[in-house]
Amino acid sequence: MTGPSWLAGALACIMIATSIYCLNRLLISWRRHQPTERDVDAVHVLMGVAMAGMLVPRLQVFWAGGWEVVFGTATAWFAWRAIRGLSRRPDSRQHAHHLQHLIACLAMLYMLLTLTSAGAAATQGVSAAGAMPGGPGRQPTLALAFAVALLGYVIWTADRLTSPATATATVAVAVAGAGAAPTDGGGTGGSRARHHRSGPASAAEYGHRVSGPASAAEPGRFGTSAAPAAQAGPPPLSPRLAACCEIAMGVTMGYMLIMML
Amino acid sequence: MSEATATTSSAAGWLTGAAATSREGWAAPDSRRRLQLILAGIWLLDGVLQLQSFMFTRGFSQMLAGAASGNPAVIAGPVLWSAHLVGQHAVVTNAIFAAVQLLLGLGIAWRPALRLALGASIAWALAVWWLGEGLGGVLTGSASPVNGAPGAVILYALAAVLLWPSRRDRPAPFTAGRSTGPAAARLLWLALWGGLAYLALQPEARSPRGLSRMISGMAAGEPGWLASAGRSMSQQLSGRGLEAAVALAVVLAVIAVGIYLPRPVARTAVTVAIAIAGALWVAQGLGGLLAGSATDPNTGPLLALLALAYWPRRDAEPAAAGPGPGERRPT
Repeated sequence: MTGPSWLAGALACIMIATSIYCLNRLLISWRRHQPTERDVDAVHVLMGVAMAGMLVPRLQVFWAGGWEVVFGTATAWFAWRAIRGLSRRPDSRQHAHHLQHLIACLAMLYMLLTLTSAGAAATQGVSAAGAMPGGPGRQPTLALAFAVALLGYVIWTADRLTSPATATATVAVAVAGAGAAPTDGGGTGGSRARHHRSGPASAAEYGHRVSGPASAAEPGRFGTSAAPAAQAGPPPLSPRLAACCEIAMGVTMGYMLIMML
Repeated sequence: MSEATATTSSAAGWLTGAAATSREGWAAPDSRRRLQLILAGIWLLDGVLQLQSFMFTRGFSQMLAGAASGNPAVIAGPVLWSAHLVGQHAVVTNAIFAAVQLLLGLGIAWRPALRLALGASIAWALAVWWLGEGLGGVLTGSASPVNGAPGAVILYALAAVLLWPSRRDRPAPFTAGRSTGPAAARLLWLALWGGLAYLALQPEARSPRGLSRMISGMAAGEPGWLASAGRSMSQQLSGRGLEAAVALAVVLAVIAVGIYLPRPVARTAVTVAIAIAGALWVAQGLGGLLAGSATDPNTGPLLALLALAYWPRRDAEPAAAGPGPGERRPT
């Protein structure tokens, strides 16, 4: 990939950090039985590693064609979820949420296939490092469309970053008021409920971990109503930080796509 | 002491809007917020475009210096000075430019920072309009709406003013009038589209091959379908520069006054404005986005965004019952 090497390195570091964080989310979610979107976190782990490898070729960890298979599968998965979400619950927000990951997976596939074509051309004597602009397999209009869509979703996500703020306190207070431990969290859930019982200060301390509407029943991360989540069970795992991961990934992917114009 | 703390807190609240959001939570975006988000998206795209390889080279400073040509010395001097500065520190200055634009986009999208980001975007846009775009070439005699006059970046500032989240909204038949009031907003519309009509009749634009040359110049380096559309437009306008310039100026003038007419006519004028913005964008080769050296998508999307802000509503938007995004509720 062309562009300043320091910038590619910095973005690769951010992607690795995002990957590690999402891997931690999966582990914490599994150990504490706290709901999170495991498929999204898993794909973020993979995307972070794959993008770091595209930005800094030394960081490539997969065999040729491996990532294409991974993201082809992920694309099919999110397409199925988007279709299922649309047919079961025609809520545009939830649908858009799945669509966001579908587009990200498609964009990953596009970038990987373009890089593979450029690499193949390089082995045949076509310019190597500069094979991106004007290279074989390049579809600038498609790349721009992906970049605009992903940056649009970044904005959409950033607009909703403040949405859990009120829900956070509401959920914490609701759980404290009810005095009920989450139903499926076992001992861990009970300790979390005790944690909540310390009141508003606890809510603030716990703030980034709780989001009202993003319940276990429906794994969308943002919304406006807090009450259902308080009744649904343990609070989802740090929805705001998850949103920040999506923002970081969206901006980085947008940059990579623009570099492929 | 407590008064000083309250003042500081109030100032911080004004700057960040954090108090408002933490107290009042999140409301679904209304028409103005949706337009603000589109503006944020364009700023974010600008920031990413600023990270293209070309921008870190001396070619970028030469592009900036090019904006000085044809301008009076008082305008051209600072443009050349800033281009020289950027040329000497290409990597650092461009990284700062990109970071500022990324932050403006994310700031407008993140509600607590809305006012701060919109205010900063106005200051940034005015500085770039002069130092980066040479006032969009409006004083050079070669500017035309077709080649991006009066400069995309000044439209960012105008959009920020019209979409400003005022503390107390005024009743207005369109979104753009909620902060400034309908009379001032209509005046700004008249100035914008009337100004575009005037620029459409500049000497270079009304020369027989003027528009044709402008369009074919912007089609260079574009992908096949876009270059082909540009070439087709260019061929059709070849030798008919005067007629095309006059026709364009008349349409733009009609759009300018259309906002003062009854709602059905105003709605038609705004629809035509959106269509003209689309046509201009195609003529501008989508702002050169696909050619790898664009710093912004040019005026087309911004003109369309502004036109959407003037879309006449069936019922006048009432004054907001409560504060909008990033606004504080009076206590």
